[in-house]
Amino acid sequence: MIALRNAAIGIEGRTLIAPATASLASGRFVAVLGPNGVGKTTLLRVLSGALRPIGGEVRLGDVDPAALAPLERAHRVAFVTSDDAPVEGLTARDVVASGRYPFHRWWEWSENPGDTGAIDGALAAVGMDGFAERRFETLSSGERQRIWIALALAQEAPVVLLDEPTSHLDVRVAHEILALLRAQARAGRTIVCAMHDINDAATYADMLMLLGDERMLAFDVPERVFTASLLERAYGIPMEIVRAASGAPRAFAIGSASGAYPGS
Amino acid sequence: MTKVPLRLAGLLAIALLALVASLLVGGSYVAPGDLLYALAHPHANTDVVTILWQLRMPRVCIAAVVGAELAIAGALLQGLLRNPLVDSYLTGVSPGAAAAIALSVVAGIAAPALPAIGFVAGLGTAMLVAAFARRGAGLDAIRLILCGVSLSALFSAVVTLVLTRAGADYAAQILAWLAGSTAGRGWHDLFFTLPYAALGLAFALVAVPALNVLRLGETRATAVGVNVARTQWVILIAAALLAASAVAVSGSIGFVGLVVPHLARRVVGGDARALLPASAFLGAALCAIADAASRSIAAPAELPVGVLLAFVGVPTFLYLYLNMQKVARA
Repeated sequence: MIALRNAAIGIEGRTLIAPATASLASGRFVAVLGPNGVGKTTLLRVLSGALRPIGGEVRLGDVDPAALAPLERAHRVAFVTSDDAPVEGLTARDVVASGRYPFHRWWEWSENPGDTGAIDGALAAVGMDGFAERRFETLSSGERQRIWIALALAQEAPVVLLDEPTSHLDVRVAHEILALLRAQARAGRTIVCAMHDINDAATYADMLMLLGDERMLAFDVPERVFTASLLERAYGIPMEIVRAASGAPRAFAIGSASGAYPGS
Repeated sequence: MTKVPLRLAGLLAIALLALVASLLVGGSYVAPGDLLYALAHPHANTDVVTILWQLRMPRVCIAAVVGAELAIAGALLQGLLRNPLVDSYLTGVSPGAAAAIALSVVAGIAAPALPAIGFVAGLGTAMLVAAFARRGAGLDAIRLILCGVSLSALFSAVVTLVLTRAGADYAAQILAWLAGSTAGRGWHDLFFTLPYAALGLAFALVAVPALNVLRLGETRATAVGVNVARTQWVILIAAALLAASAVAVSGSIGFVGLVVPHLARRVVGGDARALLPASAFLGAALCAIADAASRSIAAPAELPVGVLLAFVGVPTFLYLYLNMQKVARA
């Protein structure tokens, strides 16, 4: 559904990720991992078509997303940014209703039955149907994140990109959000989610894309990505891999009592 | 949310009442019954008909149109820049027009040509500011504000320079314009401004859905398919057309473009579909009443509308705004 073909990712003349090839199939939950500044957000922007790769190509279905008109692109890919511009005076439902923008010509100002179904369905899918008329600014961080995801769902795009949707959330809410995203993948959407918690990623994602050392170090199932050497190379810190009772791999950074990381 | 249409209807009623009320008052006393008769018989040959249809009606209509234009332009720019401190004149429309008018007066250009000169200069200043504020295909909000403020300062300095060097007759003529006034305006002034107002309004209507989504910020608006760069230009041109055509007929009337959108937002919320008409109705009502007051308070002398608006409007606005905030918090 969405593919990198020998695509190099960079911004402002600087290469962040050397040419890489990967194919992200429909119905998959892909987690993008890597240290701060490695280019996760830039990669998402390239996948969304907001930015062109500096080499190679990106395919969204059978088209180049960067060549699409903004409206056409919005029908194919939704992007939950980590942008935290303040939102004032809107209800949760108003925010979600913005996802219907691409379905309206400029003179079509009112909500049609299709919009109503999509908006209410999206609110229900993220478990926020009881919050529709709440003012957005009164919601908790986790509730806001659900609303942003509902906005993307209301957009009815087959691909949903998310930039660190769980970064400021407590453990339980983070897991609820990730379970929700996995359910959306099972329902047929392609979910691409940049995130920091590698163990949460291994628990919920079907595929991990590991970025580090200015390249795509791995794009594989969690089982194969969770090796000490790969994770160490990505994050620059020694890692220990253990098995949870469920058999799922878990990785832990090994610090040192002196405060300095061994080998650094 | 179902209350919104009702509230819009209420604001429209207020605007119409204000229009009628301001027709009833003026420099010379006329019995309301005679006025109503003249209103119903526009072709009767009486003094009252002349007062109503040639003196008061065009002024009231111009005041209402100008108020609506400034309020809509303010609402558009506040929404585009997500900045509540922005007003209709952000892009230097008013000082640009004022400088051109001042120079034209000194150059001896006849008064009937001044509205056109003011309009062209106001619009031109806005486009100059926009050209400076370009970033990529779109506009940089901060740069737009900074360039608008600096060019405004420059053109205000031009006006001051002209005022200090020009003779007393010229200065009086320029000052009358600067103060913002609808005195002596007639039907031809209204007909001059209406096409540009309509064009500005058309641009504004095109941008309404995008303006609503922009409340989530530019990044998120882009993500749902808003062409942010194009929307910025559409809104800027709409606001510049509306403000320039207002300035051309009434001079520099401040306060309306800044304050009316805030009041309107408190009544109908921030949805552009309701906010733009609500701002228009409130702006029209406010300016019509201010115009009536300017004609009657010190009759037969006239006070400038702009001055009255500030004297009466600012304390009222502060009172309403601060109290409503208290209520909202409680």
